Amino acid sequence: MPKLILTISVLSAFSAVAAEKLPDRIRFNDHVRPILSNQCFACHGPDDKHRDADLHLDTHKGATADLGGYAAVVPGKPDASEMIKRIITDDPDEIMPPPKSKKPKLPARDIAILKKWIEQGAEYEGHWAFLPLQKAAVPKGAENPIDAFVLKRLAEEGIKPSPEADAATLCRRIYLDLTGLLPTPEEIDEFVKQPDVAKLADRLLASPHYGERWGRHWLDQARYADSDGYAPDGFRAVWPYRDWVIRAINDDMPFDRFTIDQLAGDLLPNPTKPQLVATGFHRNTLINTEGGSDPEQFRVEAVMDRVSTTGSVWLGLTVGCAQCHTHKFDPISHREYYQMFAFFNHGEDRNSKGATVPVAVGEMFGKGAVAGVDGAITAGELERLRDDWEAAEIKRQEAAGPKANQKLLEALKQLDAARSGPQRKIANDAFEKAEPRAKKKKIGNSDPEAKIVEQMIMRDLPRPRETYLFLRGDFTRPDKDGGLLKPGVIAAVNAVIPGAQTEFKNRLDLAKWLVNPANPLTPRVTMNRVWMRYFGKGLVETEDDFGTQGVAPTHPELLDWLAGEFIRSGWSMKAMHRMIVTSKTYRQSSNARPDLAERDPQNYLLARQERLRVESEIVRDAALSASGLLNREIGGPSVRPPQPDGVYAFTQNAKSWKTSEGPARFRRGMYATFYRSAAYPLHTTFDAPNFQNTCTRRIRSNTPLQSLTLANDPAFLEMAQSLGARMHAEGKDLDSRLARGFRLCLGRTPSAKELAVLRDYTQSQLADFAKDEAAAKALAGSALDKLPPAEAAAMFCAARVLLNTDNFITRE
Amino acid sequence: MSPEETKLLEITRRHFFEKCAVGVGAIALNQLLAADGHAAVKINPAFPMEPRAPHYAPKAKRVIYLFMAGGPSQIDLFDHKPELNKLSGQKPPASLMSGKRFAFLKGNETLLGSPRKFGTYGKCGMTLSELLPNHQKIVDDVCWIRGMTTDVFNHGPAKLFMNTGFQAPGRPSMGSWVTYGLGSAAKDLPGFVVLQSGPRGPRAGAQLWSSGFLPTSFQGVPLRGKGDPILNLRSPQGMTRERERKFYDAVAGLNKARLETTGDPEILTRLNSYETAYQMQTSAPDLMDLSGESAETLELYGCDPAAPSYARNCLLARRLIERGVRFVQLYHTNWDSHGGNGENLNSDFEALCREVDRASAALVLDLKQRGLLDDTLVIWGGEFGRTPMGEVRATLGRDHHVDAFTMWMAGGGTKPGIYGETDELGFGVVNGKVHVHDLHATIMHLLGFDHERLNFRFQGLDMRLTGVFGKLVKGIIT
Repeated sequence: MPKLILTISVLSAFSAVAAEKLPDRIRFNDHVRPILSNQCFACHGPDDKHRDADLHLDTHKGATADLGGYAAVVPGKPDASEMIKRIITDDPDEIMPPPKSKKPKLPARDIAILKKWIEQGAEYEGHWAFLPLQKAAVPKGAENPIDAFVLKRLAEEGIKPSPEADAATLCRRIYLDLTGLLPTPEEIDEFVKQPDVAKLADRLLASPHYGERWGRHWLDQARYADSDGYAPDGFRAVWPYRDWVIRAINDDMPFDRFTIDQLAGDLLPNPTKPQLVATGFHRNTLINTEGGSDPEQFRVEAVMDRVSTTGSVWLGLTVGCAQCHTHKFDPISHREYYQMFAFFNHGEDRNSKGATVPVAVGEMFGKGAVAGVDGAITAGELERLRDDWEAAEIKRQEAAGPKANQKLLEALKQLDAARSGPQRKIANDAFEKAEPRAKKKKIGNSDPEAKIVEQMIMRDLPRPRETYLFLRGDFTRPDKDGGLLKPGVIAAVNAVIPGAQTEFKNRLDLAKWLVNPANPLTPRVTMNRVWMRYFGKGLVETEDDFGTQGVAPTHPELLDWLAGEFIRSGWSMKAMHRMIVTSKTYRQSSNARPDLAERDPQNYLLARQERLRVESEIVRDAALSASGLLNREIGGPSVRPPQPDGVYAFTQNAKSWKTSEGPARFRRGMYATFYRSAAYPLHTTFDAPNFQNTCTRRIRSNTPLQSLTLANDPAFLEMAQSLGARMHAEGKDLDSRLARGFRLCLGRTPSAKELAVLRDYTQSQLADFAKDEAAAKALAGSALDKLPPAEAAAMFCAARVLLNTDNFITRE
Repeated sequence: MSPEETKLLEITRRHFFEKCAVGVGAIALNQLLAADGHAAVKINPAFPMEPRAPHYAPKAKRVIYLFMAGGPSQIDLFDHKPELNKLSGQKPPASLMSGKRFAFLKGNETLLGSPRKFGTYGKCGMTLSELLPNHQKIVDDVCWIRGMTTDVFNHGPAKLFMNTGFQAPGRPSMGSWVTYGLGSAAKDLPGFVVLQSGPRGPRAGAQLWSSGFLPTSFQGVPLRGKGDPILNLRSPQGMTRERERKFYDAVAGLNKARLETTGDPEILTRLNSYETAYQMQTSAPDLMDLSGESAETLELYGCDPAAPSYARNCLLARRLIERGVRFVQLYHTNWDSHGGNGENLNSDFEALCREVDRASAALVLDLKQRGLLDDTLVIWGGEFGRTPMGEVRATLGRDHHVDAFTMWMAGGGTKPGIYGETDELGFGVVNGKVHVHDLHATIMHLLGFDHERLNFRFQGLDMRLTGVFGKLVKGIIT
């Protein structure tokens, strides 16, 4: 047991382990760095501006430097080391951390570790995440390399893995994980008869719903939403970007290309329209259309968001911390932040203005443009044509000499806003003559149902903006004395890349650097997040912080092996999914392990699977698939499923929510229009992020409002009615109907006890409603109107109970 | 609860409090990371709202925050400026204007004296305009903060700043921080409740009561003035209370069966959530039912029980805190008195003051007579103030002003009297400046928190309401 806890470095701070034996060999990264990072680096760390006593404890050189006859760390001699003296003293003027830091005195165990480390020579190591991927040999004894690493570790601890989950549970798990939909009872039967996980995985990875499921995870990171944010929060049509993501994931686009297209598709030679649409990734930033807003301020906000999002998504680093000052804990300087900023500062978009490209429904899935798209023109495109035409026309007229149309020339030379009424008419008439499409119906970006929209894309200015460091992150205080900054990357990461480039021009350089196979962070961070989706948490639990304040990986060799294999597979996500899903580690039962309740309650060692409550979208999708109402259409404009009245009572501008009718009513949860200021209530209630910033991991809360939603939301009542009708139609008596309901919703047959609970309830309701036909009719709705009212209402009631079970919204 | 369940619950709690180790993702992680003495709050995942003790004995146990959305004009309500009246119509001194940024002013505006009559009231000698006659009744119960300043001059970001200490969305609001820190004594109602009145919702909407990166259990729950007070509260048509009891029992029966099979303590939380939901179906309508309030009380507030209004919300606020709710926030729009249609400083402003004056004062008086004022903190104010210059629009108006405005607080350990002073024209604060971060630090102090220690680890930083700022304002607390 001591070993288990010590190798999970974060646990070393627990009091329970204080009395445990110290490890024989103290290692800087595992044992010492967490203490220094938490206790010392804030004042004696990488930040030059906030370094007290000119003492650097983050480097060997700094720690051992002569401070005037003494040194903080004297290798081999803990008693001569000032650091040790300062942490053990009781003198309030001397003690470290000082009282003003509000940190308590170091625990005895931490002191003992630091002493022993100095005794053993005080060796420093680079931070694990910044070291190159380690190539560990796959341990012997397991077919799947994942199992080899996990089982080796469990064996070391003397822990047995859990048995494989029963086939029905496993089938439901794989369906939910890979497609977010429930299997039908028949699909489960087929799998139970022949439980070939690899075959099932291949089939589901080829399903178009796989792209929806994993695309949605990516859209969280892309902070995708259907509105501008801030106070007015107007509608925006950006579903072409969403469709691009679904398509790319279904095509198993290699992750390096997936990265480059999104960060810099516009900078590729002759970019295709999908490559332009891909750059919508960084146009998902907020736009403030409030009167009196300074567009420059919100442009800068968007650029800063692009820096921190890029840092979080690809590097797993809290780059944003260096916006106002050099990072307190990680080697990211204030200056480096603004070098990253420079990549994005070249973008031409400025708050509500920016480049767009017209996209028709289905276009991102390779369907031809819909009828009318050729003749149509978007407002943005027209504006661009107009600008080009005006510039060219001025030249033409000037070149025409005496034959020039002087009135037109004068009009065009005026700024648009300064033109007089007649001047405007002259200019407009001339333009319409030159460009007949100007008279056609224009495509705006505000119609939620439009079939052709303007997708916002990235484009750089012909001449880059000047970038300066902002003092304290304040855009009104550029540090002109510090000089112009060129685009650049984080030196500490670049240092591990052999032959790394040092000159960077634009976003394309940045994107290529992120997916340079020698960059250790991108594959580690990416595979860690994939792992997290399957097991509830990553091998590095702080999936958004691979810096020194994060926790170290529980299985470092496995993480590096996965990261390396990801690159070796040609950055194929599908290959990695297949490997994880077919592993025994993944296939284990998720039941609690009372034998490990004390030793490993958090399941760091992976001796079982986890029960995970599904995400808000999947709550809806599961109910749609169980009830048979699901509309499997993929992509296109976002829809408006029924929502309770009064959602907009609290927003500045009431949004128009024209509830979708017909099949659109039953689209998957990910297609429900998402307003940042007033999200679809189901999504907020079940922890969908608000998409103000990138979201790399969702919270899983469990609240009474969730219960009220599943019990009473009109959308779920409608699904319960259809589920009740389906149960009735697909069974022959009450028990078989209820059992069918269990199989439709939970993917398994009920236990005798469960069936009895539901049977007793349903029968009591049948008797009750026989006496109250009006109530029965109201509850049953049109889906059940073929049945006698009491029976219809009882079936609805049974279905409603099933949709409200914990099991229903949980992937077991 | 069966012996097995009790045992499971016990295991959950034990792990949480001793090993900080079981539970829903972010909470567990935060526990883990907070193991270094910068102790964040320990949350029991089965009961996230379980009451918790703050850092030290609190003066205030709950908060009612009356948010005057849009930015009320302190010059026409609280901060009497005879010199400004004298210079009305003249250009403002260049020295006061240089380096300032305004939302809408174009540079051709002139100083605008207040057309309102002011009187001096109470032992503290507070100046109040004729538009707030009822405030005279609470003049010596209130701490008048005349030297408020903020950083932001657009509504959305300024409201976020006042609520979350940060101008961009994505941070937890004050109510979320408070319920994260303290939990709530309300068993069948949310711990953080939002009410709204006026012609429209406040700018920035739900972002103002978002829990940001804190678990959503701590986000504000809007109680609506019309229809069901909480979304999806009402059972489907045809369901009676008895039928619903059977429904909830059937759900619980299946959940308990699954708990036995899987042993997952998260199912216990689910059982608890469902039972609370069932209770809320009666407790929320009970809350909204004002038939038990006396005629005197209704008269005091000026409240028509049948119609949604600011007055009714003030009364509901009292009823909410009586039921143990920790943080109640009322938004009233629209104080954005630029001088355009519907937002002028003449008749529109007068009507607004009538809506707010009586009920705000009534709330303080009512809490006082019920012995609740001592440990209830009442806060009144907008996201910024308004300029001493007039704005050139259709009628009389002023622009947004960040450098000096007035807020007031009452009860909960605040010190009655006037705090702070602005210059003769009301441009800036000459003494007793209280920045938004300082106000936040002081509010947290009254609730028993050292604002520098109420943290949550997010994106690598120990986040808090006050960021790296905020100083306790000792002059406004007892």
